[in-house]
Amino acid sequence: MARADVAVVGAGLAGLTAAIRLAEAGARVQVLATGHAATHWSPGGLDVGAVAGARTAQEAVNALAQVAGHPYRFLADGLADAVAWLRRVLAAEGLALVGELDDPLGAIPTAIGSTRLAAILPDGMAGALAPWQPGETLVVCGLAGFRDFWPDAIAASLRRPGSWRGRPQPSRVEAVTVELPGLAGRRNLSGFDLAGLFDDPAWRDTAFDAIARAVEIRATGSGRLALPAVLGLHDHPAVLAAARARLSLVPFEVALVPPSVPGLRLFTALRAALRRQGGRLQLGEAVHGRIASDGRVVELRAAGAAREFVLSAGSVILATGGIAAGGIVAEQAGGLVETVLGLPVDGPPAGSRLLGDPFDPAGHPLELAGIRTDAHLSPVAHGAPDVPLATNVRIAGSLLAGQRYLRERCGDGVAIASGLLAARELLGPAEASRP
Amino acid sequence: MTLAELVTEATAASVGLSADECLKCNVCTTVCPVARVTDLFPGPKYVGPQAQRFRLGVDLAPASGALSVVSSPDRTVDYCSGCGMCTTACPADVKIAEMNNRARAASRVAHPLAPPVRLRDWLLGQTDLTGRLGVLGAPLANWSLRNRLVRLLIDRVIRIDRRAPLPRFSRHTLRSRLGGYRRSAWSADAPPPDKAVVYFHGCAANYYEPHVGQAAIAVLERNGFSVIIPPQVCCGLPLISNGLYAQARGRARSNLAGLAAYARAGYRIVGTSTSCTHTLKAEYREMLDIDDADARLVAEATWDISEFLLDLHEQGRLDTNFGTLDRSLPYHAPCQLRSHGIGLPALDLFELVPGLRSIDLDHDCCGIAGTYGLKTEKYDIAMAVGEPLFAKLRATGASQAACDSETCRWQIGAATGARLVHPVEILAEAYAAARP
Repeated sequence: MARADVAVVGAGLAGLTAAIRLAEAGARVQVLATGHAATHWSPGGLDVGAVAGARTAQEAVNALAQVAGHPYRFLADGLADAVAWLRRVLAAEGLALVGELDDPLGAIPTAIGSTRLAAILPDGMAGALAPWQPGETLVVCGLAGFRDFWPDAIAASLRRPGSWRGRPQPSRVEAVTVELPGLAGRRNLSGFDLAGLFDDPAWRDTAFDAIARAVEIRATGSGRLALPAVLGLHDHPAVLAAARARLSLVPFEVALVPPSVPGLRLFTALRAALRRQGGRLQLGEAVHGRIASDGRVVELRAAGAAREFVLSAGSVILATGGIAAGGIVAEQAGGLVETVLGLPVDGPPAGSRLLGDPFDPAGHPLELAGIRTDAHLSPVAHGAPDVPLATNVRIAGSLLAGQRYLRERCGDGVAIASGLLAARELLGPAEASRP
Repeated sequence: MTLAELVTEATAASVGLSADECLKCNVCTTVCPVARVTDLFPGPKYVGPQAQRFRLGVDLAPASGALSVVSSPDRTVDYCSGCGMCTTACPADVKIAEMNNRARAASRVAHPLAPPVRLRDWLLGQTDLTGRLGVLGAPLANWSLRNRLVRLLIDRVIRIDRRAPLPRFSRHTLRSRLGGYRRSAWSADAPPPDKAVVYFHGCAANYYEPHVGQAAIAVLERNGFSVIIPPQVCCGLPLISNGLYAQARGRARSNLAGLAAYARAGYRIVGTSTSCTHTLKAEYREMLDIDDADARLVAEATWDISEFLLDLHEQGRLDTNFGTLDRSLPYHAPCQLRSHGIGLPALDLFELVPGLRSIDLDHDCCGIAGTYGLKTEKYDIAMAVGEPLFAKLRATGASQAACDSETCRWQIGAATGARLVHPVEILAEAYAAARP
């Protein structure tokens, strides 16, 4: 049996945030997860909130904090500190985030030629954040042979009125496809493969030369250059610096289908921070536990090759994600089940779940499903909001009920604020008073 | 359909049908050490769950001859090294590596390899035969395998790379040096299970590194255990990874015959080769479809030695009177160890040794993956997979490093010049350094 002060289940943004904070404070932390997930699918920035009528992310957060049952009603106050804390942790690992909660939400081009609203992005996407000025051109640059980024389709879509959600937009959108050295005849390449190529200093110099030549034909004057998010994985800051130095337009990355390279960078940085603080991460199998009669969870179990891996833990943070990530599953009979402890799930009634319009602008009712908690993030039953179901368990991230993280774009903000609050709750009052 | 066939089908389905859970998210491709360095392998998703739809006919109807011709159209599965990182990283619990292993075995039947390569793969699977002969003629065998002309010849004829890290044969087997130990088959008069353990030494400790076996025995005895060493053969893993399942089943049956009685009586089976112990734990069931009561008993009784010692420690039974070893010790956790799902117990044990500062090298795979990196067509891939690890080890400046798997030790040692040891050798040394 292994031992930890705190067991964190789930290796996404919420789980890793909690784990790093706890390890930083000296706790022995063990993260267990079925596998990689949320970070590898994420565009790498922080979606903290974007709702109709909100000019900034902070306004969106304030609005969501007024919504009955929304996790932000406990978490909104801690969000600014959480963003600052995460920014510090990532910067120490060489990953910079740009943008503030009070900055205007920008319309950020996507790989399908739409835009999404965001305020806090990785440095590689900073070029997309500043409001477009009159006369600016956007050149969308694809790489020949790379099938996850189609510049002509993206440009055509971005030229349509309405694609920019009423925000300032470029005066012109152009598309260009560049042949990069050494790609001809290679197998079907993913963004991950290309990021590996860009990590090579000699290769990237040639590549940026080729991109610069192709782009100069298309655009003169001021403007920006949208590139697929493949500008290096391990040496990203250097790749980005090289791109900025060599290209006349302001380059920015556009997030792609999974595996997302900016998401991988985020995970790599978080994992490094966790290891630096002495925390551990074990992937491989689904985790199960049981609430004992005294209301505590004292051990977690994960399948091993022949025997269960048993982790004895002082307390537990569940950050297993919502219905999309496997923290909650729908049974064929209709029930919603929380997979680790079998906590009661607050969600739409069984019969109504699939009746909802999947494209309803208000979001799908299943998005709201999750675990109810008190203000200390302890799980509670629907009818008894003041009685924790397990005294040493805290819930963090998308597993929290009451958020529509796709629609409200609040998933990352909820993840880091709840991850830090869960950590603070378990560290006790002395720790809680510290920032 | 007989009950046995039904069990076989259900087992195959648990690996094969897990493809149905695949979200196509490509997380597996980002952790694949092989796809990272070569275009010859497109990545676990493509040859695993994605190609599996063409293979399901086989798994769903193993008893009906009609569908048995269905096999993967994609033979790049041969470039999977079997490290298992994909299965570990998959958020949907798809058994990707296991699926690929089975697919390779099926593909070898459907599309036989050229005779010299077939001979090579067969030979690499005969670790008991080559081990016995090698020990018998150790001086000559070791000289030949270090002779450049001989190696060139072997390379050209049967495609074992002339640069590949082949181990040196010991001049004696471990078993021949254990006169005083209980080496016989099951007998009821052995010391009780809380006072004795069964040791599965595997081929490496028997033919190449008897000192690892001796260190393990010393550490177990230090903790009050009698060590029982029943008859055993190669675990079968080299056969499994070369697609020779029928022969591997023979090895599995022999081992289960020697070990099951002990397991049934409550003895724990402890091994120093983390890939052998993983084979006993999981691969007889997942690859070879051997899922009877004996196989389950042996799987549940089997422990990697570091896992076993850490468990003793958790129970307060490990002798922690270690002497001081004042040094930095880089450590590589082999891919095979990660598939156990037991964490990294060697690192926890190292924390108990005063003065010892272990450094987790934190790299997925050294490249060798058993016999993969020995093959001429794969040697360069294996070296490229391991290169970041070799660089990290070189950067520590340490002359010694620890690793739980023998083939990894040989690969890393050959690539870096460092002296690679099993974690149990460190513990044995720390016990020896303790004041009486």
